[in-house]
Amino acid sequence: MFPNELARQHRAKVRMAIAFPIVGFAVVGVLAFAQDFPRPVWLWALFAAAFVFFEWKSVEVNDKLFASPSVMVIMTAAVIFGPESAVLGCVAMAALGLLQPEDIHDRRWFQPAVNFGQLIITATISIGVVSIILAATDPTSIPWIALASAVGAVTYGIVNYRLVAFIVSRVYGHKDVAPWSHVAQIVVPFVGMGFLGGLLGATYLLLGTAAIPLIGIVFFTGYMAFESYSRLRQAQLSTLAGFIKALEAKDLYTRGHTERVAYFSNMIGEHMGFNGTRLEIVRWSALIHDVGKLAVPRDLIRKKTRLTPEEYEEMQGHVHHVDGLLNEVEFLRPMVEIASNHHAHFDGGGYHGSNVGEGDAPSLEARILAVADSFDAMTSTRSYRVALTQDFAFRELRKHGGSQFDPEVVEAFIEALTGAGEQYGSPIEISEQEARRRAEVGMGQEHALDPMHARRRADEGRETAHG
Amino acid sequence: MAESRIKVLTIATWFATLVSAGVFVAVGVANAGGDTLPWLLDVALWSIAITALALITVPAPSGSRLSLGIGAGVAASVLLDDPVSLGASISIALVASWLIQRRLGVGVGRRDGDYLADALSMALYGVIYSYSLELIVVSMDLQPTWSVLAAVTLAGLGWFGVRAVVAAFVGLERSDLAGRYLWLLALEDWAVVLSMFAGGALFGLAWSVMGLWAVAVAILPYAFAHTAFERYSSTRVTYGQTIKALAQIPEVAGLAPLGHSTRTSDIAVAIAQEIGLKPTAVTELEYAALMHDVGRITLNEPAILRAGFTDEDIARWGAQIIAEAPYLQRVSELVRLQHRPYRSPGVEFDPDIPMTSKIIKVASAYDQAQIEEGLSPVESLERIHQGSAYEFDPRVAASLRRVLVFRGVIAN
Repeated sequence: MFPNELARQHRAKVRMAIAFPIVGFAVVGVLAFAQDFPRPVWLWALFAAAFVFFEWKSVEVNDKLFASPSVMVIMTAAVIFGPESAVLGCVAMAALGLLQPEDIHDRRWFQPAVNFGQLIITATISIGVVSIILAATDPTSIPWIALASAVGAVTYGIVNYRLVAFIVSRVYGHKDVAPWSHVAQIVVPFVGMGFLGGLLGATYLLLGTAAIPLIGIVFFTGYMAFESYSRLRQAQLSTLAGFIKALEAKDLYTRGHTERVAYFSNMIGEHMGFNGTRLEIVRWSALIHDVGKLAVPRDLIRKKTRLTPEEYEEMQGHVHHVDGLLNEVEFLRPMVEIASNHHAHFDGGGYHGSNVGEGDAPSLEARILAVADSFDAMTSTRSYRVALTQDFAFRELRKHGGSQFDPEVVEAFIEALTGAGEQYGSPIEISEQEARRRAEVGMGQEHALDPMHARRRADEGRETAHG
Repeated sequence: MAESRIKVLTIATWFATLVSAGVFVAVGVANAGGDTLPWLLDVALWSIAITALALITVPAPSGSRLSLGIGAGVAASVLLDDPVSLGASISIALVASWLIQRRLGVGVGRRDGDYLADALSMALYGVIYSYSLELIVVSMDLQPTWSVLAAVTLAGLGWFGVRAVVAAFVGLERSDLAGRYLWLLALEDWAVVLSMFAGGALFGLAWSVMGLWAVAVAILPYAFAHTAFERYSSTRVTYGQTIKALAQIPEVAGLAPLGHSTRTSDIAVAIAQEIGLKPTAVTELEYAALMHDVGRITLNEPAILRAGFTDEDIARWGAQIIAEAPYLQRVSELVRLQHRPYRSPGVEFDPDIPMTSKIIKVASAYDQAQIEEGLSPVESLERIHQGSAYEFDPRVAASLRRVLVFRGVIAN
């Protein structure tokens, strides 16, 4: 990153951090004259506490979809407070959303300042929409309440989303950061939460305060269960990732390989428009793609001479045993299948794992994994050669596009990596032969575990076995 | 769980949802007409609705499945005025659902004891609810909705008491499970129970003021909670499977005896349940026992194999590997301590070693004596007893004997 770019970002941040709070205070000032503060105050405080709680702890449903019931809380409040005080009451609640534990802990200034203005603008517009619809129709009819709050919640989601996109594009200069097509993804959950929020508000109006503990218990227990579920899922991911990291850390040359391959695979997947579960499957497949190697005795992998057919069989046996173990884990099955095919070629050649026959193209996920794996193998230092340059790796990937690799995946990867401005591999251009020669001289004694290298020798062993 | 059983369960769930929805729609339509339904029809409709909902079960953290009939019963109690029709509806429904579930075999993971507990506790719930509501309305000047809430709370406590008694009876039957363990396990389910009671009461109250909209108000939030419980329990299963798979890597690599981790964990969990550890500690123990030998993967390195290693090294390496997982810090600590003897030379008693680590040590040694030295179970147990109070904790050794007797592995 260039210093003048950083300075420009800083100036943009300062401008935003001044403009957003000013707009926020102005809106609150106008509202304070136009509306009454909601009564009873304890009820407002209860809703404000619930709103802040849910803003703090949004639960990750899968990957990028966050379930934040805070919008539902705000819609319930809008219905309960009534048209005379709903906008002011909800805006005052929303303004408290700027209190974020991480921001306070890290003493950040930009996020809280911008969040403050952003939440006030969002709440004013969306609660305004709810109040207008209810004023124009019948504020006591349940269907109208549900409809108004559903529309309000969608407005909330869209305004919030556009404001974030605006801030990001102003500060970081990305033009295409938030295309409208992504809005569809947020609309559906927001419709549901708004609808339910409105109905709960109506329930309160009809039943009185006794409804609050009941609604609170049902939501709180559900929310806690969802949080435990989400934590458990996280635990599962980090257990697997941590294990693999700890095991491969013992080897100098493959240290970090798995994590980088997961990172590159994720990058390609995202660039090719994957999201949610599909993207997660790609990442998990990358994470487990070399687990089988952990069970192979090191002396077998480091053997300098060609593997005998028996040794090759032994190595494959270990790898298959581990694949079998992972297949016992129900949700890992699709990932094991993808991982087992990461050495299969686009044109049907190469080494095939489960469920793909010789001559068939592997799945798109396996093709992505193949490109990510080979790129990392080329751009990191191995026992048999020092790291190659990124340009060299790109040329190699393109050269084998159509045969070993899927050309579309290769182009997507090159675009994504160039777009992100990241650089891997050696900074000095050297040829493959030169890289090998230097490795021989410099690190001739060291021979470490390397998936590509080992596989290559293993393939030779297999050919001998069949020949 | 067999695939076909899951299929049956899913079909039953959908069927039950449709039937109960149909009943509520019918009641709603009838009420809108202004007629009051005759008593018998009321009871019949509620019986069908509770029966149908009782076929849906939700997995609770303790591993048992709770029936949604609890929530339906609570809703019925709020909506039905007289104790007789309430009692009739609940008892007819419970018997019917019991028969249906036994016939179809849809009550996966449920035992007859669970149905018995359901029937007894819901019946008592109905009785306490009806009489305490009357008492509260007469003696206290509360808003009607608050009176209902108070009565539901009281009756809910009674419900819980019956469950505790039933759990204790089940405990008497199973001498290998400590009463404390069973009781704490039942308490783990509080969140599920609470959400069912609150959901049922919310439905009942909302139905009386907003009709069919109550379905959305009470069912949507409950469905959210239900999904969360469902996902939590399935993730817990796959998390256990993941740990089991990772723990077996040294075994398939030929660095540890095949099946040692699984057998050790099986014995260790049985001992912990017999002694009466907390359910959360039992889960931790299960993971730690599965992974207690994972440090052996380091022996993959020929240099280390040549240099030699001790049990302490294995424990330390294993703990280091496990510590990379942020959520398994406790488990890592247990694995690090599992090689420590009960009494170290010069140390009277080491308070730093948790019970769980001592259990792993015994369970692992018991299995090793059999597979590495070819001893019989009795001889292996004898070996543990020889080291008792020095190498092994005598309480754990005694518990191992009881577990083996209960399982019929050794004669009493």
